[in-house]
Amino acid sequence: MIIIFMKRFFVSVCLYALVICGTHAQTPTGDILLQNATVITVTQGTFEATDVLVEDGIITAVGQNLDAPSGVSVIDATDQYVMPGIIDAHSHIGISNVNESNAPVTAQVSVGDVLNPYSISIYRALAGGVTTSHVMHGSANVIGGQNETIKHRWGIIDPDGLRMAGAPRTIKFALGENPTRVHGRGTNLRPASRMGVEYVLRETFSKAQRYQEEWDKYEQEARTNSRAVSPAYNGQLEIMSDILNGDILINCHSYRADEILMLMDVLEDFGIDQVTFQHVNEGFKIAPELAAFGATASIFADWWAYKFEVYYSTAYNAAILTRNGVLTSINSDSGELNRHLYHEAAKSQKYGGLSDDEALALITINPARQLGIDERVGSIEVGKEGDLAVFDRHPLSIYAVNQYTIVDGIKYFDLEQDSDDMRLAVDPESRIETVVLHEHDDQHLCLHEGELDLYDFLTNN
Amino acid sequence: MRLLAGIALLALLAPRHATAQVNRGEEVPDVTRTFALTNTRVVQEPGRTMERATVIVRDGLIAAVGTDVDVPFDAAVIPADSFIVYAGFIDGLSHTGVPEPRERPNRERPDDPGNPPDAEAGIQPDRAIHGLLDSEDKRLAALRNAGFTAVHAVPRGRMLPGTGAIILLTGNSANEMIFQNQTALFAQLNPARRMYPGTDMAVLAKLRQLFKEAERRQRLQDLYLTDPTGLERPPYDPVHDALMPVLRQELPVFFHTESALDLHRAISIQSELGFPVVLTGLNQSFDAVDKLQEAGHAMMLSLDLPVIPGQSDSDDDDEAPSDSLVVEPTDTAEKLPEIADPGYDENLRVESLADIAAEKENLEKRRAMEHKKYLANAASLSSAGLEFGFATLGVKPTDLMGNVRLMIENGLSEDAALAALTTTPAEILGISASMGTVDVGKMANLIVADGPVFEEKSNIKYVFVDGRRFEIEQPRRSNRRGRSSTEQVSPAGSWSFTVSSDEGDVSGTITIDGTADDWTGEITNELTSETVDLTNISFDGNTLDFEFNIPEMGTMAVSVVIEEDTFDGDITIPGMGAMPISGNRTSRPQSNR
Repeated sequence: MIIIFMKRFFVSVCLYALVICGTHAQTPTGDILLQNATVITVTQGTFEATDVLVEDGIITAVGQNLDAPSGVSVIDATDQYVMPGIIDAHSHIGISNVNESNAPVTAQVSVGDVLNPYSISIYRALAGGVTTSHVMHGSANVIGGQNETIKHRWGIIDPDGLRMAGAPRTIKFALGENPTRVHGRGTNLRPASRMGVEYVLRETFSKAQRYQEEWDKYEQEARTNSRAVSPAYNGQLEIMSDILNGDILINCHSYRADEILMLMDVLEDFGIDQVTFQHVNEGFKIAPELAAFGATASIFADWWAYKFEVYYSTAYNAAILTRNGVLTSINSDSGELNRHLYHEAAKSQKYGGLSDDEALALITINPARQLGIDERVGSIEVGKEGDLAVFDRHPLSIYAVNQYTIVDGIKYFDLEQDSDDMRLAVDPESRIETVVLHEHDDQHLCLHEGELDLYDFLTNN
Repeated sequence: MRLLAGIALLALLAPRHATAQVNRGEEVPDVTRTFALTNTRVVQEPGRTMERATVIVRDGLIAAVGTDVDVPFDAAVIPADSFIVYAGFIDGLSHTGVPEPRERPNRERPDDPGNPPDAEAGIQPDRAIHGLLDSEDKRLAALRNAGFTAVHAVPRGRMLPGTGAIILLTGNSANEMIFQNQTALFAQLNPARRMYPGTDMAVLAKLRQLFKEAERRQRLQDLYLTDPTGLERPPYDPVHDALMPVLRQELPVFFHTESALDLHRAISIQSELGFPVVLTGLNQSFDAVDKLQEAGHAMMLSLDLPVIPGQSDSDDDDEAPSDSLVVEPTDTAEKLPEIADPGYDENLRVESLADIAAEKENLEKRRAMEHKKYLANAASLSSAGLEFGFATLGVKPTDLMGNVRLMIENGLSEDAALAALTTTPAEILGISASMGTVDVGKMANLIVADGPVFEEKSNIKYVFVDGRRFEIEQPRRSNRRGRSSTEQVSPAGSWSFTVSSDEGDVSGTITIDGTADDWTGEITNELTSETVDLTNISFDGNTLDFEFNIPEMGTMAVSVVIEEDTFDGDITIPGMGAMPISGNRTSRPQSNR
């Protein structure tokens, strides 16, 4: 037994090295030429009758009358609009778990460990032009789990194939009613109040500082003493240390101005200078303070009043934050809303009069900057990754319909080839339910056997 | 919630296998421990067959195999001219012989659910199987009847249930059954309930924490054992201690997953932590073949196969001769959906709401195609050059051979199937020297069948385990669902039901209303009088299936067979498995015809 497994172990160690190196190479890339489109770069202006060439997954040219290199598939995009693939800065699609809600601090868990490439939500996001999602741990805990930035490579069933390899690490924090409800009221543990939330934050960061000190001391001693005893390993405080060292970006679920100011105070005390506030419904009250700290905001366009702490809100939030110099994005936090983030962005024109580029930046380059991936995605520029969405009208038009979505130069969504059943897998033991909404024997019945004929109702009214 | 309490009571009850009755093979009271199987065909291992040979079993061992073998004077001679002798099957992984752990009475959420006691959170790597074995477990004989002679048995539980042992399917105590103890650490992505680690991602984080801290403690122990001078004594706890043999590469982790997602996760955490591993389960591994080839791990493939709802073996009942005493065994294979050309239209774009029938038909075809992938899973691994043993975890003993046949019909070679039941599990478990082939000097674990063992009409006549002979009386394969009249069976009416177990019962009532394809119903728990609606009710032949949902416990699935005014079947409770449920009809609906 031992011998067999020794052998297997060494084989697997060798393979491990290959797997790590090989991950990037495994991500497929493609070549594509979009011709004669209106190209909205978001950062470099908008160009009529322009082509975009993607080779090996990278944008290699933006210009007029580009030649298609041999073997590159060409899409005639005449009368169509090409924009950078949309980036959703706050989502929970494509993961098997959202909350590990059994403790107020769970920094050690990561949704990146439970990516689910079979999730149909990924395909639906593509249908809305979204190419990248920041999939996040939930907001049950003061310090939740680590998040993962994914690309929507629909059809790749190895979970690693979804990762946007090299994207900065991020983690979820949460303030206010969620953690106090789950832990304070749920289990009678801290935090039961907003004061308790601050206490949990300070206590955990302080523990991480002590943990770092112990390890520093050990490492120093180990230089001269081969028998030095290392401190106990603590996976949670390892992650907290990485946050203190600036290696993990905090994304904090928050609504109220007071708690947002509180977190900035805490972070300042612990020497952390980067944070993205999520939701931030009262961000408009403290926009200058956010800007002064360098904090960024990822918000809903006009969604609020679903619980007490979210009543004081305004649809002008995006515009107010933007005009005050706060880097702002609009996110979905939803497997439905993510399909029309371009509508959500357009609301900032109705409420606050942002320009086209400012509005589209809310769902492209701004979330890219917040996630630290703006060198790679978020605008149409030569050298960036070939993540594109093609609409039949200007994407800020209410009539716009997405035609194609391209990730790494590969067309993963095509409206023309969008069949009824796009699932990657089906449980063979699932039942196929027939939900009979109508008896369609007689076309004229609005009421059938005392029941409303939904089909007729929906189609004839 | 009070219904929940009633159902939770089930957790307190010792489980009992609710599967179909299998006649227990009786050990023949032999006057000798020497046997001669004469003039027989011996499949010594896949691809190595000897004709007209004699096999001598003596003192628990295979004493001779050959065409020129003298029959000892004291041998019980079994003329085996029309029989075929095989090596006894080896089950790569199951809970055979291991009763379900009893849930603690009045189990409450720990005060600090983020930091629960290890055992409550399912972290029990220090638990050995010896004290958990029960030689009376009915599954032991049921597996033996199917040709199994040895089982790699592991404890039940959550993420780290304990260590396993190779047991023989004979013996009256754990001591007699155990062939080799401490064979593997069993692991699965099975979170704790309402405490940490309560999600798959937390189970993975917990594995990292445990292994990395165990690694540190191993280092400290080594330092201390070398020279304790000037060192504080290393910390000790049984959980980290139990992981150290794994870190030393002395004990493999048998990591069990069923879905492709979980399989990918297991492979990832293994490559991160580097522990020796055997992957088990792998029910959906057709979606991870490349990664399995790359990783090169040993595998024990589950013999479980999915069943398309409504295509259980009850479908044929109407065709069974109504008054015949001899009912042909049902041939599951013949009822496979014909999907060579399934006609699935991947670009079907029906007008929403307008053509439900066409869409339903198309979805059924899609489901049949997906089903086929599972049936062909073993073949896809095999044709990718991957070897595996078979595991019976979670499979009814009476389904085992039928499932092997399905795998063969879907492309697995008979030699590969036989290897997966004999030589490969023996090799993975490191017991090739004593089991897995019919060779002189090995333990006398044998199957004697009256025909090729994978042929449906063949019967196993004898199974030898450790040289002991068991005569296998074939279970009467008369259809347990066979009915003797053509009367219409309907599930409608009121029923009283009992979910039974050795230590007590839970009772209540079920009401079913409606007519074919439009059933409604509700279930009431007698203890609490709580009532919930039934969902997904289907009635097919005489099999009634339905589900009901208890918040926080999940969906209970019930499948029973109705015989006039009684029913029998299983209730599957999330996390607890199947338990027997039976019922009596207390009233029929008023006829409204």
